[in-house]
Amino acid sequence: MDEMEKRLAACFSAVLPELAAEEIPQASANSVKSWDSVATITLIAVVEEEFGISIDIEDPAQFDSFQQILAYLREGAKKAD
Amino acid sequence: MKLTKALEILKGVKSREGDVFTCFLAAGMNPLHLDTFLAAELGLLLPDQRIEIRHGLYGDFVGNLRRIASNGADCGIVLMEWTDLDPRLGIRNMAAWSPSVYSDILSTVRARAVEVQQAIEKTCQRMPVVLSLPTLPLPPISFVPGWQASPFEIELKAAVHSVAHQVSQQAQVRVLNPQRLDLVSPLQERFDVESELLTGFPYKLPHASALANLLACLTRRPASKKGLITDLDDTLWRGILGEVGIDGISWDLDHHSQMHAFYQRLLGALSTEGVLIAVASKNELSLVEKAFGRKDLALSPNSVFPMEVSWGPKSEAVARILKIWNVGADSVVFVDDSPLELAEVKASHPDVECIKFPTKDNLGVYNLAIRLRDLFGKSAILHEDTIRAESIRRSHAGMAAQDAAKTTRTNFLEQVEAEMSFNFTKSPLDPRALELVNKTNQFNLNGKRYTEASWHNYLLDPESFLMVVSYMDKFGPLGKIAVTAGRREGRRLKIDTWVMSCRAFSRRIEYRSLEELFAKFGVEEIGLDFVTTERNSPLREFLTELLGDAAAPGCVISRQAFEALAKIVPVPQEITNG
Repeated sequence: MDEMEKRLAACFSAVLPELAAEEIPQASANSVKSWDSVATITLIAVVEEEFGISIDIEDPAQFDSFQQILAYLREGAKKAD
Repeated sequence: MKLTKALEILKGVKSREGDVFTCFLAAGMNPLHLDTFLAAELGLLLPDQRIEIRHGLYGDFVGNLRRIASNGADCGIVLMEWTDLDPRLGIRNMAAWSPSVYSDILSTVRARAVEVQQAIEKTCQRMPVVLSLPTLPLPPISFVPGWQASPFEIELKAAVHSVAHQVSQQAQVRVLNPQRLDLVSPLQERFDVESELLTGFPYKLPHASALANLLACLTRRPASKKGLITDLDDTLWRGILGEVGIDGISWDLDHHSQMHAFYQRLLGALSTEGVLIAVASKNELSLVEKAFGRKDLALSPNSVFPMEVSWGPKSEAVARILKIWNVGADSVVFVDDSPLELAEVKASHPDVECIKFPTKDNLGVYNLAIRLRDLFGKSAILHEDTIRAESIRRSHAGMAAQDAAKTTRTNFLEQVEAEMSFNFTKSPLDPRALELVNKTNQFNLNGKRYTEASWHNYLLDPESFLMVVSYMDKFGPLGKIAVTAGRREGRRLKIDTWVMSCRAFSRRIEYRSLEELFAKFGVEEIGLDFVTTERNSPLREFLTELLGDAAAPGCVISRQAFEALAKIVPVPQEITNG
């Protein structure tokens, strides 16, 4: 797990505290019962805060898994480079 | 506070096993992250309690206002934004803007404002209410350029300020200070347009965090400090008295030392508001007395007691002051310009809040004044506040006289012409009674604290009783100094709460109070909901003396044993009310 994944995992742990550390990389809105629309909005806010970015989203539903958010962050980091 | 941090705190709060503190948030918005921040801030202020934030329906500000009074929460928060007063003042609305609608918007806002006022006036009979005026900027609805305040906007603001003014006069209502919010959350950093459109939550996270912090402080105010001990040289005045002499010290514009006068004025104000002020200084006493004789000093010498001036360690001076004041170290602030002195005092009295006086830093002194206001702030000044310092001064003089004459305690009490009054009135609620219950640590039966709502509900029970004891003697009044609350259970009286101010110790008021309870209720036994706390050793010692054994939970005092033991000191002129 690289630095970005670790930081994102910490965000998930804050918003979805019932998730065990090993469950986080596979977490998705479909697989986690407590992951509702409020959790999505909160996750986005926490990720924005943690990574100091502003996430421009028309549809928050596209951010519905750990891997999707990680991919979004990696894409953003690539563009920044 | 970061949102991540708030979520972490909440994790801990949820696992607590203490009582639940409930707060009803009446707003029109989706409270989303404000909820999280508020629960976290309250969780920090109430470290043993679980926190529950209740709210009504999204978009139904008026309905939520109505729900608040009947909700049974410990506290209510009314959070209004412009869009709650008229949806046309928000960005989610489609209605047309034109000068022709100004008067209609004004009418709507005024009508809503009256509803807010009425709801708060009704709710505050049951629980404390916090009101937050609109924190977000008005939208650009007016035709004037942004740098000009339009009559329309001024009238809108006047309508909400009028409500704030009216409700702020109610004892149980606290209005969030917009000036403080402006300091911690700049106006341009508050409104999150994206979030408002997407989720109905209009705040940027830092604004939500700042607002939650202030709302929590208003909801559950941290205990205010009771006394301030100040250094003199380069603190109360500029200069070293022993080096520059009486006329060399200064606190004026001419000597660029005006902020010392500002500090003196603040201490003078705190003193009149019931804060104890003392001096701890390494100096010659005779010189200090002459300095305090200067007519231009902005702090009256009468406001300061005691004056501990010597060449000994300041920690020892602080210890003597704490003993004379008879207050806990955690209720006291020590201000000195020397980091060394601050560290020396802190090492001996870790609970004393030690603050460096920022000599030659004018802005620093201004900010110190703001900090001291926060530490000593209170919602109202009670009669007891105005007599506290004088009663300590007189009591100290009386005790000294007793020592000198080597009189016995009983003789001494006979000589002081003590008068006590016992008031059993439960309504209207006496704010001093709850203040005593929630602030007293040493003579405290069990450390039990109450919210305004829970205290109100407790006293609503027809079986409950409340006894408030006032005391005065020839040295002056101490005011209301003891509170006992409980309920009658057949031939027994059960005491749930019993506190007495430390200022009233050594007067056998506790014995006289029990005697009054036996007489008033005609019971044969008084049961005590006693619990040992970290700091209630004076209460424990009293019970041990009374019971002949260490006090235990559920201990009982029988009338027979009490009468055999208690030698009540004559109380010549006694008044019983209620």
